[in-house]
Amino acid sequence: MQLISFLILFPLIIAAVLLVAKGDMLRNVIVVASAIIIAAGSIVLAVQYLGAPWIGFEFESPIVDYIGTAIGVVIAAAVIAFGVKYKNYLAIALAVIQVVGSLVFELGFAHGASSRIGLYIDSLSIVMALIIGIIGSGICVYALGYMIDFQKHLDEHGEAEGLTELQRKDRRPEFFALMFLFLSAMYVIVFSNNMAWMFTGWEVTTLCSFLLIAYTRTEEAVNNAFRQIIMNILGGIGFLVALYLAVAFTGTLSLERFIAIGMMRPALVVVAVGALAFAGLTKAAQMPFHTWLLGAMVAPTPTSALLHSSTMVKAGVFLLIKLSPLFAVCIVPATMVVLVGGFTFMLCSFMAISQTNAKRVLAYSTIANLGLIVACAGVATPEAVWAATLLVIFHAAAKSLLFLCVGTAEHHIGSRDIEDMDLLFDRMPRLARFMMLGIMCMFIAPFGMLIAKWATLVSFVDSNQIILILLLAFGSAATFMFWAKWLGKLSGIAGSPENVELTVHPSEWVSLIIMACIAVVACVALPFVSNIFVEPYVVGVFGVLGRDVAVDNLWLSSILAIFVFAVLFGGIGASKKKRVGVYLAGVSVDSDTRTYRNSLSGESIATSRNMYLNSFFGEQKLRPVGEVLCSFIIVVALLASGIIPPVLFL
Amino acid sequence: MFITESFIFTLIGTVAFVVLAPIIGCFLAGLDRIISARMQGRVGPPLLQPYYDVRKLIAKDDVTVSGVDGVYMTCALVFTAFAGGIFFSGGNLLMSAFVITMAALFFIMAAYSSRSPYAELGAGRETVQVMAYEPMVLLMAVCFFMAAGSFNVGAIFNQPLPVICLTIPAFIGFLFILTIKLRKSPFDLSTSHHAHQELVRGTTTEMSGKTLAKVEVMHWCETVLFLGWTGMFFIWGTPLSIILGVVVALAAWFFEIWIDNNFARVKWQAMLKWAWIVALVCGGINIVILAFI
Repeated sequence: MQLISFLILFPLIIAAVLLVAKGDMLRNVIVVASAIIIAAGSIVLAVQYLGAPWIGFEFESPIVDYIGTAIGVVIAAAVIAFGVKYKNYLAIALAVIQVVGSLVFELGFAHGASSRIGLYIDSLSIVMALIIGIIGSGICVYALGYMIDFQKHLDEHGEAEGLTELQRKDRRPEFFALMFLFLSAMYVIVFSNNMAWMFTGWEVTTLCSFLLIAYTRTEEAVNNAFRQIIMNILGGIGFLVALYLAVAFTGTLSLERFIAIGMMRPALVVVAVGALAFAGLTKAAQMPFHTWLLGAMVAPTPTSALLHSSTMVKAGVFLLIKLSPLFAVCIVPATMVVLVGGFTFMLCSFMAISQTNAKRVLAYSTIANLGLIVACAGVATPEAVWAATLLVIFHAAAKSLLFLCVGTAEHHIGSRDIEDMDLLFDRMPRLARFMMLGIMCMFIAPFGMLIAKWATLVSFVDSNQIILILLLAFGSAATFMFWAKWLGKLSGIAGSPENVELTVHPSEWVSLIIMACIAVVACVALPFVSNIFVEPYVVGVFGVLGRDVAVDNLWLSSILAIFVFAVLFGGIGASKKKRVGVYLAGVSVDSDTRTYRNSLSGESIATSRNMYLNSFFGEQKLRPVGEVLCSFIIVVALLASGIIPPVLFL
Repeated sequence: MFITESFIFTLIGTVAFVVLAPIIGCFLAGLDRIISARMQGRVGPPLLQPYYDVRKLIAKDDVTVSGVDGVYMTCALVFTAFAGGIFFSGGNLLMSAFVITMAALFFIMAAYSSRSPYAELGAGRETVQVMAYEPMVLLMAVCFFMAAGSFNVGAIFNQPLPVICLTIPAFIGFLFILTIKLRKSPFDLSTSHHAHQELVRGTTTEMSGKTLAKVEVMHWCETVLFLGWTGMFFIWGTPLSIILGVVVALAAWFFEIWIDNNFARVKWQAMLKWAWIVALVCGGINIVILAFI
């Protein structure tokens, strides 16, 4: 209990300190020290409650309730202020609706309604705490070096690029404060049993990402930030509606009681579950809300890493996984979640094929993966929840690693285009290996992702989710394509061009190595990860583990993972074999640059590009399909869950 | 939490596969060339010609463009061995399919690593090929699971009837993508055994000596594994049915050779489109049938 409060409050204090702390040195010290403390705190917490069942902590405080309401007002005020400044009236309107709704809720409608057990801990929140504490704070450390380069670029080239003074301003204190505030809000979400408190954390993450996306204050950044906030306030209003319904029908704000009552009398909670699921879908950037996460790319890379791996979108899937037992009894919201997740997985995997921008590929793959997790949560069998939790872990580790790699590569090769990553293996040997490691952890066989996919398939079959099986089959084939061609681009080797990774900041290396280690450990120790972290939660919620997920296969995958890592970091080095030039159907002049003498005795350069199959998988083609389809599913499901129960009561 | 019997079986199976599959695959490759030659009105090479070829490749000088393609091909071979071991020891069919995909990935990386424009194009096409056949492989495994009640291949020996009785559409779909997996015309887009390839040799353009030998051996092993997948559909509780499985697998293999010799190579667009349509129709119909009976 003390530890939980510490994890929530400590980042908050650090955020306040960072806001006033000026100077790189001071900031470096504070960020590194507090990152270590937060990570250590999370690990201690995990060790202390390892394998524990659901443990609630009695903690009820009207003061905290009021603080939550006050925070809600501040958030709304901030959004309205920005809305006025940038003339975005939709955002203002939504913020007003939300703040009025929450004030009425807190001071009138649900005044006095509370949850005796305010905080809790179970294996899922431990997993989340570790992800937030280690990966999240690791990203903060990475940001130290990255933001120095970022600001340097602004100072040196900003004026020439036509940025205004406001856009070039050193806003780093605010940036780091927001990062830590984000971590604190995430802890609130994963430890709160009181749904009103959870809602406060939920809204804080929305505002934090708004400010982080708008960081550069360019027109594009501001527009994308507003898209994010509009979509997420919509989700927030969904959450608020769910709070109203929970109080009205179940008389409690306790998440645990809410789930327990819902399991017994699904008709009471079905609308609330639908509204909560809607909130989860917006936050997890599922279609048609996926555009906010794509837009979030304009922010500095550490922001993307944070949003994609350990915070924000993970809050969305966390909520959906938590609701999973209710999906087992509430058919309509479950169907909505399953179909939206499944279609998002397939279509976003398709669209990732057509992207050349590395960050966009990562964004689409994040959305696709979240789709898979969301679908698993909706299927709501023990195997599916097992798979969903493992996917959360692997995705967090691999995706943060990949984003950090792309960010560092961008600063050193001047591009985030995959086609420009040709020869990265020569130019940034260590970074390229980390990137390959990340890609491999994301999608291939012996690694966690595929084990999780396999469990997904088992549970889809068991629950006769025919459409989902098809979506998974085609979607994961697409996954192979877009990762494999990226991996191929990285693996090209020519002579020995200049090594440009010597100027990478130590703080970036440290966090890259930490992320890489987490990814490797998670893959190699897969049987233990499953046994220690994931299975207790599944057993705690469902009472059983479901179909045996075959321990020997976990071991097999662990062995194959060790083999691949050994090859990646030990096997592919300098070779003693005789090296020859590449065949170019002409006399080679320089085989590193693929120059050859052509038939007119001039020099030609052979170039090749990867295949992007735009005619099949172009964004213009698929995006409208996905948006219309998923919007339709959501609208129909929400209407159905709103109409059917009253009909049943009559 | 502990290492189980089936895990040991898998390791034993892998070792057995490593010893036997290249031998069987080599004979099959030799026969393939003789049968193809007869279809074209030629006599063809001796049965052991593939073996002589590989022996000669191994004896050649180690020359390389990238320096790492050999390592990647070793990985590809190891993964092929594991995929075979998992399958023939009665292990998890999905796992076997995933691990063989992993082998394909390393083969693709080996091709990319040379930075030859021809190899890169070939590798790009190979990724499209993998994408084309993956859905059907997955759906085939799902249908197997629904029919046999387990992803474990060993479960076929507990069946009162062969799995094929419930999975005819999926089997037809699988035969379609088998042509892609065996790199037979009309789907030999990334690299071809025939001398009429517009990409020089595609993926294997810059591979030579031992590295190319590894590609050949991998191809032998893959052939044996995929024919194993084919035969699996026809085996049930009676041990004698293994003979039926082998016969069907050989028949399918003969059929593939016949296709190889009678169809012109198609473009990747056509391959992708048809492979996915077949997967959707055959796999989808079969799953629906299995779900509702």
